[in-house]
Amino acid sequence: MAALVYASELTLLSVGFTLTYLTAKVPNFAHGTYAGVGIYVSFTFAKVWGLSPYLGFPVAFIVGGIMSVIIYILVIGTLARMGGGSIVLTIATLAIQITLSALIYIYAFWLRAMMGGYAQNFLLKENDFEWIGFPGIFPVAIGISIAAVLVLHYLLTRTKMGVAMRATAEDPELSSVLGININQIQLFSWFLTGGLACLAGAMIPMWFMSTPGSGSAIITSIMAGSLLGGFESVYGAIVGGFAVGLSEILLTYVGSEVFGTWVGEYRPLVPMFFLIAVLLVEPRGLQGVYDRIMARRMISPKTKPDQDAEKKEEGEKKE
Amino acid sequence: MMADIALGILGSLPTAIEGTNRLVVDIAMFFGLLVIVAMALNFQYGNAGIPNMGCAVQVIIGAFTVSALTVRLCFMIIEGAGVKLMSWASDYDWVYHQTWNVATANNFLKNQFMLSVSLLLFSLAVAILLGAVIGYLISLPAIRLRATYLMIVLITMADASQIFGRNIVSISGGTLGEFIPDVFRWYPGDKGVICAVVTLFLGLISFFIFRTMLNSPYGRLMRSLRENEVTVASVGKDVVSIRRNILMFASGVTAIAGVMNAFYTSYVIEAAYTRAYWTYWPWLMLILGGPGNNAGTFLGCALVVALRRVIIVYKFTIQAVFFFPISYLEEMILGVLLVAVMIFRPNGLIPEKLLYVPGVNYSNIVQEEVKVDWRSAPKARLKGGGLLGRKKKEEPKEEEKK
Repeated sequence: MAALVYASELTLLSVGFTLTYLTAKVPNFAHGTYAGVGIYVSFTFAKVWGLSPYLGFPVAFIVGGIMSVIIYILVIGTLARMGGGSIVLTIATLAIQITLSALIYIYAFWLRAMMGGYAQNFLLKENDFEWIGFPGIFPVAIGISIAAVLVLHYLLTRTKMGVAMRATAEDPELSSVLGININQIQLFSWFLTGGLACLAGAMIPMWFMSTPGSGSAIITSIMAGSLLGGFESVYGAIVGGFAVGLSEILLTYVGSEVFGTWVGEYRPLVPMFFLIAVLLVEPRGLQGVYDRIMARRMISPKTKPDQDAEKKEEGEKKE
Repeated sequence: MMADIALGILGSLPTAIEGTNRLVVDIAMFFGLLVIVAMALNFQYGNAGIPNMGCAVQVIIGAFTVSALTVRLCFMIIEGAGVKLMSWASDYDWVYHQTWNVATANNFLKNQFMLSVSLLLFSLAVAILLGAVIGYLISLPAIRLRATYLMIVLITMADASQIFGRNIVSISGGTLGEFIPDVFRWYPGDKGVICAVVTLFLGLISFFIFRTMLNSPYGRLMRSLRENEVTVASVGKDVVSIRRNILMFASGVTAIAGVMNAFYTSYVIEAAYTRAYWTYWPWLMLILGGPGNNAGTFLGCALVVALRRVIIVYKFTIQAVFFFPISYLEEMILGVLLVAVMIFRPNGLIPEKLLYVPGVNYSNIVQEEVKVDWRSAPKARLKGGGLLGRKKKEEPKEEEKK
């Protein structure tokens, strides 16, 4: 159950990471730290104001979005306009990550100074409600991630905004020639990704022990999920994020059952293992595997013309 | 006062190394350590365009070499010389008898100049070798791919090495850390001074090696690799293996910093080798000073180290003003400074210069006379601000010719 909750949170995060990479061509190392902001939005709602943390979810979405947009306008957009390459932009996101996580720590210490309570290491399980014997976060986390994926799919395929986003990801110059306001698209996608990351972060303390640093620590899993999905495909990231999140908890659990509790210490190595294995075996991840299978499918009707006439048509359509 | 400080440091009397003098020695030491890392980084990123985000891995390898190999070798030699040590065979004994054993070893090393120096040289040599090996290993998954992938892999590797160090007790004593025998015990004066001098000397040697390499044909190859790798590959150079060699060489040099840090603090613990300290701060130095330029690296390193050490030394004075630990303020300074430098001084404080080639005047080659008929291309004249300036200088020459 913990694995499912974690996997759905990681799905949201990896999708956001991939979307940022697609539109801005930057691997955003600060993406995990957005989740850290979400953690503290939840904490503020539950412990400081005494409300249900679920009320904090929409607020977390908006806070994360606005923060992300501010970061884009102040740093990433400025640097991109100055013609910084992808390495410069990546270092900029690292700098943002350092600053943001320091700010979160400072906020935690400020809370401690103001409230007198301990705001560093906490769990919000007691603020949860119960739903047919399950803790409330279980259906909520899965529901939110499924809903987010469906909305995202609808957005990317059916709305004008989503199509424009995809076009911008493919070729920014060409799409700007066609009359798409690239800046607006970028702002929208940064708002969306920041919001999703913050929302996922807001769900973390409902089940897992959270510290101000746990947002930044999650970035390895996010990148592993995104990379497993192919780094350039939103649907791949959905599958990849879910798989990495699921296996990170399940493998550690099974390992500690079989070999003893020392395996638990090595939990962060699981996403790293995925990362390196994917890079060694198939650098384009699941998307690469999918493309290869599709390519074989398209080729096979030609070699066997009698069979699979329908598939040939499909192939032609896709071509 | 300055003369007093200088005399105290030169004489390195233990009584003189106090207060401000201690701060100066400390700044010199950390300047030496970090300049090695930053210079190696400059070699990789500034000149060859390889974004090595895994400096922490290589530094930690240096430190682990000392804690796992040099200490064991030292114990073996001491036992061979007939001095009785407490048992250090099992993990438990290794950690809990460490303090006592190291104290014995320090007493033994006091009169053994040759042994101490050879231990230092041994750890440096092994660290360079292991650093190169680890450079090869971490380059395996991603060196063929885009730079972004390499960054991701290297950053995660830094975390992985810390996890291994934390959980495998025999490397560096796990979470408790491990004391290191003092190989500078033969020196009568203050240990910090000799350590700083040795580190700065090593930094100087690596500076000359890097400079020679950069000004050789290999350096020009590296620069061309940074500018356009497709062109380099089309001329018949093996891009992947060149990159791998550069990464291996620089990794070996970076490991020196880990060794010297272990000997300076006499203590190795994995928690001291976070990627924030050993990767991000060198990157800030590099970008602040100006990538692709060793002078810039020195300047950036000196500025950042001085800032950091002053903050740390006057920690308690500054701490009183804030309600949160000062280290987070430091982190914020790091992040904001990094972004600010990248936005306002993209080329760093000292911009990159052309390479120096003996016997060739580069500036003569680059400044070719470009003859353009400006009247037939008025639009180009408006666009090219830089060319316009040169044109004004050339105008009187043409009139003279006529």
